[in-house]
Amino acid sequence: MTNGLSDRVAGAVLLALAVAFWVAAGQYAVTFGDPVGPAAFPKLVAVPLGLFSLYLIFRPDPDPRWFVWPGVVGQAATLAVLVLYPLLLEPLGFPLATALASAVLARVLGAAWLAALVLGVAVGGGLFLVFDSVLGLPLPLAPSFSF
Amino acid sequence: METLGFLAHGFAVAFTPLNIVLALIGCFLGTIIGALPGLGPVNGVAILIPVAFSLQLAPASALILLSCVYYGCMYGGRISSIMLNIPGDEPAMMTCLDGYPMAQKGKAPEALAISAIASFVGAILATIGLVLFAPLLVRFAIHFGPAEYFALYVLAFATIGGITGTNPAKTLLAAALGLALGTVGIDPQSGVPRFTFGVFELFDGFDAIVAIVGLFAISEVLVLLEEGHGGISARAVRVSRAFAQGREIAASAGAMLRGSVIGFVAGVLPGAGASLGSFLAYTMEKRYSDRRGTFGKGDPRGVAAPEAGNNAAAGGALVPMLSLGVPGSGTTAVLLALLISLNITPGPLLFQKEPDVVWGLIASLFFANFVLIAMNLPLVGLFTRMLAIPMWALMPFVVMVSFVGIYSISHSPFDLFMMVLFGVLGYVLRKLAIPVVPVVLGLLLGADMESNFRRALSISGGDYAILFQSGIAIGLYVLTLLFLALAVFLGMRERRPPGAEPEPAHD
Amino acid sequence: MFRRLGRVAAVAALILPLAAFSPQNPECIAPANPGGGWDFTCRTVGKLLTDTGLVSGQVQVTNMTGAVGAVAYANVASKRSDDPDLVVATSTVGITQIAQGKYPAGVDAMRWLAMLGADVGVVLVQKDSKFNSLQDLLAALKADPGSVVAAGSSGVGGWDHLRLLMLLEKAGMATDQLKSVKWVEFSGGGDAVTQLMGGHIGVVSTDIGEIGGFIQSGDVKVLGVMSGDRLEAFPDAPTAKEQGVDFEGYNWRGFYMGGKVSDEAYDGWLAIMQKLYESKEWQETAKSKGLTPIWRGGKDFEAFVRQSEENMRKVSKAIGVIK
Repeated sequence: MTNGLSDRVAGAVLLALAVAFWVAAGQYAVTFGDPVGPAAFPKLVAVPLGLFSLYLIFRPDPDPRWFVWPGVVGQAATLAVLVLYPLLLEPLGFPLATALASAVLARVLGAAWLAALVLGVAVGGGLFLVFDSVLGLPLPLAPSFSF
Repeated sequence: METLGFLAHGFAVAFTPLNIVLALIGCFLGTIIGALPGLGPVNGVAILIPVAFSLQLAPASALILLSCVYYGCMYGGRISSIMLNIPGDEPAMMTCLDGYPMAQKGKAPEALAISAIASFVGAILATIGLVLFAPLLVRFAIHFGPAEYFALYVLAFATIGGITGTNPAKTLLAAALGLALGTVGIDPQSGVPRFTFGVFELFDGFDAIVAIVGLFAISEVLVLLEEGHGGISARAVRVSRAFAQGREIAASAGAMLRGSVIGFVAGVLPGAGASLGSFLAYTMEKRYSDRRGTFGKGDPRGVAAPEAGNNAAAGGALVPMLSLGVPGSGTTAVLLALLISLNITPGPLLFQKEPDVVWGLIASLFFANFVLIAMNLPLVGLFTRMLAIPMWALMPFVVMVSFVGIYSISHSPFDLFMMVLFGVLGYVLRKLAIPVVPVVLGLLLGADMESNFRRALSISGGDYAILFQSGIAIGLYVLTLLFLALAVFLGMRERRPPGAEPEPAHD
Repeated sequence: MFRRLGRVAAVAALILPLAAFSPQNPECIAPANPGGGWDFTCRTVGKLLTDTGLVSGQVQVTNMTGAVGAVAYANVASKRSDDPDLVVATSTVGITQIAQGKYPAGVDAMRWLAMLGADVGVVLVQKDSKFNSLQDLLAALKADPGSVVAAGSSGVGGWDHLRLLMLLEKAGMATDQLKSVKWVEFSGGGDAVTQLMGGHIGVVSTDIGEIGGFIQSGDVKVLGVMSGDRLEAFPDAPTAKEQGVDFEGYNWRGFYMGGKVSDEAYDGWLAIMQKLYESKEWQETAKSKGLTPIWRGGKDFEAFVRQSEENMRKVSKAIGVIK
């Protein structure tokens, strides 16, 4: 990897964001009652965002190490769990979804299967009891088949 | 003298067996709620309001319970900041900067003890300030118009460059990114939705708690996996001592006092609140006493100042809440709602009309702080042992608590997705050595900064001169320039001796 | 006007047979964060419903924050439009949003249940202000619309702003002058009044409930209350009406249900709400919070909501908030 490429790429992405931000802000306008308008402050923020992105492009720091194997597998699995969890929360009910998610996370972080399962059941059941039953914040309990 | 009489009356109200029990429960629950990421004082207090109702508590008792939770949260937030590098709530974020490095160096007991004592000092001084100066402070606070608030935020953000040990340009970039993210949502003045792409869930902008959990907790899991210590955390430094050594505590006494004063002033100003309090307390303390560049690497003063600051701000925020009926922070807004639901009209007459409630509350705050310090110092040993819990058990628990904390309030899977996105962003930023703390500060305080800018110019009809018209505003700008000049001067002096002390790598 | 209609509605309700419907797991969605007005509506009404035994068990309060109620509106319309256990808190502010096209659906998407009370708009100035009546303020604004800075707890075009402009228009200010009145948004009525006391702004238009303490302490002066009669809690505060400006600016508090709920559930909730309204507990609670108890329910309320929405759209167009 070229030295400093990461910072240059990040700088380019943020610079593009700053430009897009400036352009998008320009569309916001009101007819009356607001002398500054909703566009001014985002533009004011886009300027330093762009300038410091340029700094990153021209004066990058050395690259970090991306993709440390076998960590990447675990990272991908973690993200998959975290994305699936909100989708499964309502269909599966809170205790089951939470137990599954925490068991898989524990396993990914190196727990033995049995320990991961025990933890999952404890976290799923425990949080449900505390939030739903004790604090009275409603959480979906049972699997719902209406979906 | 008259005040002392009122206070004595307050203690008489507060010291019933029931209220003492409630205060103990509140302090304990608050510490836990504060320590859990994703659950902060705002939802903690909001969650417990219905509980207080269903227990049929008298107004003073309900208020005592919930204020103890509020103060407990301020104590608790620091624990996960120090032990896990994940702030338990927004104001505890600044405590990560030096608290976690201290824990890594094996000084977790010191960090926990110093932060507990700093919390105590900040909270007690603020409560004394509340008793003695509330009417005076109110007269000071109303001089802060939009232009003055804007100047205060300029001071805060202009000095942000130095808050982390890394490249100042990256710190400023992170702050700009945070400010940009903070503009997402409905613009309060004009009602125009900005950068929302028509998604209704984005109309209220990014929730600071969602961003904090993502940027700190989820990115921490991702970083942890990369380090490949599958089983037990290798980060856990063996701690043989359960108690702190006195030397470092004594050395941070000055920082506690300075942090308390700054935090208290920030708290008194309605709308500024505890986050700004701890933020300013940290940056000012670093400017004042960081002669050897030890801040950000585990300097005890970097723990003492923001913790004193956020607790003093929490106390300070009660000044406008009790004497004006205007909340100084999100939590006091909830406490205010509680007052209203208890048939107590907040406002300037509260002290005269409801002395039992007000003085009972103040007395219970003194009491709560003694309970909290007595509870927290012995617990230092227990919290330190958290490091012995394997990461595979701790992190899924922390992530799931964050999820349920947010979901149980918003009932929106969307917030959970946003949290994961912030997690990925946090991971990438950390790999690039771009600090995440300024991103959250920008997100948290940017909206208020913009609102006050817009308000000032709406008042003047677009004339920018209004920003520089009052003595307070000019004073704040002069202070800003002084700090910037000092930073440039120190930066130039540091650069003279080439390679005197190489900057250690940060992850 | 409200009271008379209230009486008609009350009589009508007595003739209705008592519905046997009772919600199984009653839930109230507050489309805002804990601490706001909608949250207060849900929590207070929920607590009273339980205390008075009108529903069995606790009323579950769910905060569903977002876009001044639009998130909850979208959620109920798409996912829970036939849920018989669910009521959602709303107010004039919600209708203003609908009128200005800021919700994902119009008023037809929901069944409007009832209003139980209203907060009253008020126009305030500093205690030593040179203005002593609405006419003083009006004269100054007519001469130079930019001479006095007005503020309140809503943004430009929000209800606090809109009702001040509607009042000024009613008082004889030219429509094209209204646009030139300066307006500043604050996050709450209390914040706005604090800024007024500090002299940063000139006049505040907001709900009286939240800031009543400042009137009682004499820190601010009331120019006009936007109600039909003087309020019991503030007998010295003159109404706009008695100063010759016939305008009423309420911020009512009420509920809607999903658009597809059965008549049984709708009528059942209507009966429950009406009994609550008539209870001593509600009358006392409402007054102590600075609310004026006002009843409108069922068809009467549906018609009222439609009428208000149309009026607000007209005014918003006239002053240029929407095209």
